[in-house]
Amino acid sequence: MKRELHLSKKSQNFIENLRVYLFSSGKKQDEIEGIVNELEIHLSEAEQNGKSIQKIIGKSPKEYMEMVSDEMTIDYRTWFKYICLIIFGSFSVKIFSDLLAGNLSYSLLEIIGHIIITVLFITVVFKGFKYISTINQSNVKEGVLIFGIALLPLVLFLGLTFLDKVIWTPTVHFDNIGSLIIGGITLLFVIGISVWAKTWILIVITALLTLPEYFLNLTSLQYETQHILSMIISFAGIAVSFWILPKLENVSEN
Amino acid sequence: MSTTQMLKGIIDGCLLAIIKDKEVYGYEMAEKLESYGFHSFSEGTIYPLLMRMQKEELITATLKKSTAGPRRKYYSLTPKGDLELKKFIERWQNLQSNVNGVIQQYTITNGGNQDET
Repeated sequence: MKRELHLSKKSQNFIENLRVYLFSSGKKQDEIEGIVNELEIHLSEAEQNGKSIQKIIGKSPKEYMEMVSDEMTIDYRTWFKYICLIIFGSFSVKIFSDLLAGNLSYSLLEIIGHIIITVLFITVVFKGFKYISTINQSNVKEGVLIFGIALLPLVLFLGLTFLDKVIWTPTVHFDNIGSLIIGGITLLFVIGISVWAKTWILIVITALLTLPEYFLNLTSLQYETQHILSMIISFAGIAVSFWILPKLENVSEN
Repeated sequence: MSTTQMLKGIIDGCLLAIIKDKEVYGYEMAEKLESYGFHSFSEGTIYPLLMRMQKEELITATLKKSTAGPRRKYYSLTPKGDLELKKFIERWQNLQSNVNGVIQQYTITNGGNQDET
């Protein structure tokens, strides 16, 4: 990417926190990169001259981050893009994996619950990361918070499944053709949104979360082995694509 | 009132003057300010100011290669920034003579020298 600068652990932490803070405040990506690069250079030169990080950013990193953030423009288009990607992503994963297992059938509670959980998750992720970036150090607290955020949708979806069994709400059943039509519409949405957002991420993640399980199901492996293998393939695949995709997309944009 | 609070609005003008003198990057600017005696401010505060001045089209920035590491962002003055600097100097001289007038009156009536801190 670029030549590495010599930075102390403290400065590196601050730079990372600033990046997360500005990103979760919805600031423009190129502006974030701009200020982060400038500060990295400043911090590294200051450190070479024996100055402390306090001399650069003052006593409160949080106040400094706010000061920088106030001068930057909010990128509503990108925000909207991310939110659409997450909502449609979560829906398409659910619909495709249900479709591969058989016909679709959803209760009203399931549909509404799914939307609420997704929106809640997005809010918590952005607020949570913004908060984490401002608290000083304490890796334990950070870890607990991130773990909590990651666990939240899982717990909520489990709760929803339970509620759905206890409370009866009108349910829509789709026959073969209906299921295929819904699947087709979802596919069109996924492709459409990916073209609009100019990213492969949604398609790749949907495929990684649904296809391994389906194909492993066709093999004669034991159920547990299938399950573990599909999870490993999904998450390793997602990790790799998060690493590779931004690079590929940056290249094609330039 | 702390020095930091007093400096608000003044640093902007000083930065314009430094940039007018010569194309500079952030760290150089902070060093210059320090060499003139501004010790108490946090160096990083210049960046939000630079961002604002860039949006107001008082300054422009270009990335230039450096021998030691990644590319630095160098700032230069726009014609609009040049005008703003002139206005700042005018405002400052006006302010300075007003404040000096008040202080002189104060020291005369109190019959002693006030230390500059």
